[in-house]
Amino acid sequence: MASIEKALTVYETYLRSERGAKVTENVWDNKIVPNAALALKEKYDISFGDEFIPTDPDLKKRLFQAGMEMLVSVGIYNVDTERIIRVTEDEVRAGIRAAPKRVQLGEYGDKVMIEPRKGNSSKKPVIQGGPTGATVSEDMFIPMIQSYAQEPIVDTIVNGVMATVGGVSSTTNTPFEIMGTLAEIRAVREACVRAGRPYMAI
Amino acid sequence: MIAGWKHNGDVIMVEQMPILGGYIGGIEETAICDVATTLTSFTLLNAHYHLDGPIHVRWGMTTSRETLQVAGHVAAAIDAHTDLLVANQFYTIAGPCTEMCLFEIAAQALLDTASGRELVSGCASAKGVSEDCTTGMEARMLGEVSAAAAGKDVDDVNALMKKIVRSYERQYLTAPQGRTFQECYNVRKVLPTKEYLRIYDNASETLRELGLDLPN
Repeated sequence: MASIEKALTVYETYLRSERGAKVTENVWDNKIVPNAALALKEKYDISFGDEFIPTDPDLKKRLFQAGMEMLVSVGIYNVDTERIIRVTEDEVRAGIRAAPKRVQLGEYGDKVMIEPRKGNSSKKPVIQGGPTGATVSEDMFIPMIQSYAQEPIVDTIVNGVMATVGGVSSTTNTPFEIMGTLAEIRAVREACVRAGRPYMAI
Repeated sequence: MIAGWKHNGDVIMVEQMPILGGYIGGIEETAICDVATTLTSFTLLNAHYHLDGPIHVRWGMTTSRETLQVAGHVAAAIDAHTDLLVANQFYTIAGPCTEMCLFEIAAQALLDTASGRELVSGCASAKGVSEDCTTGMEARMLGEVSAAAAGKDVDDVNALMKKIVRSYERQYLTAPQGRTFQECYNVRKVLPTKEYLRIYDNASETLRELGLDLPN
């Protein structure tokens, strides 16, 4: 009987990124990835025409197979170590099997479940409202997030980036980045409380 | 970071935004890479769910015809062959308090819902690059259209999307920046202005006429 692959952990991923084949980022970006993607497009005869959502089951299957082969044949690049992380198809399938099938977001009366919809189910997707990483001024932060949290159709909150903290720019790789992040979290929670939904997922 | 989140028992969302028109190439090539990187999130990075966001290299939006095609095909392929939890995020080129912004959101909400995504996240209006150019009204449109789209026939959704996308895709060069949050909300009461409510109602009425069952 064939052995069943275990799903990889983030630790194994890191170890592989230390010992994989070394290539420059330039070669990865401009040669390896585009060449492989083009070859797989031709191999699997993938063309979308003018459709937005495919209705042909065979096209969906070929696209999935092409994506799987892309990952397994090319791997994933770690820009820090400049090395390629390799995985097998069995490991990818183990990762799919191990992935959660139902996740609770938020708590108590504000919780929602994210679970497979399978096609266009009559159950709507979870609605996550927020600035989606856009910059928000410090003074406007709480009322703006409240404007999302108070919408009944919104289930969870996605954060924006607070432009300053205490008037100082929360620049990357400075202590103000940490201060800004923590200030954002407190402000988002305060906005949810003001909207009467204190346990929304943020 | 992921190691820390794992030990804390946190819900882990892995985000990745494939760039259409960059070094990967065209629509289909970008979609192939998007499937691969979606699978990577669950294989190598122990994600609970994956947040996608195919984005246009020139326009900086997820709501262009081409990036919608990438997102729709990838979600449908993942949905048909796995039970992974997948999400998508919204970047419109037009800003708040404009019909164009609301139509862009409607198009992507239709797409993401009908292609089987489990979570939709937005919206970074005005490409997410202008300070305070985002408001809760855009999330209202996102949510109401998603609810109306759930369960609709995919062929009908494709036909509806063609009409909506056609209505805005010639206006990218002149896309309206829209208003800031403080310009289109009463900040103290956290309520949208009459102007924004009127624009929202107009956009909703147009979408109803196209066949979407939106609340009145």
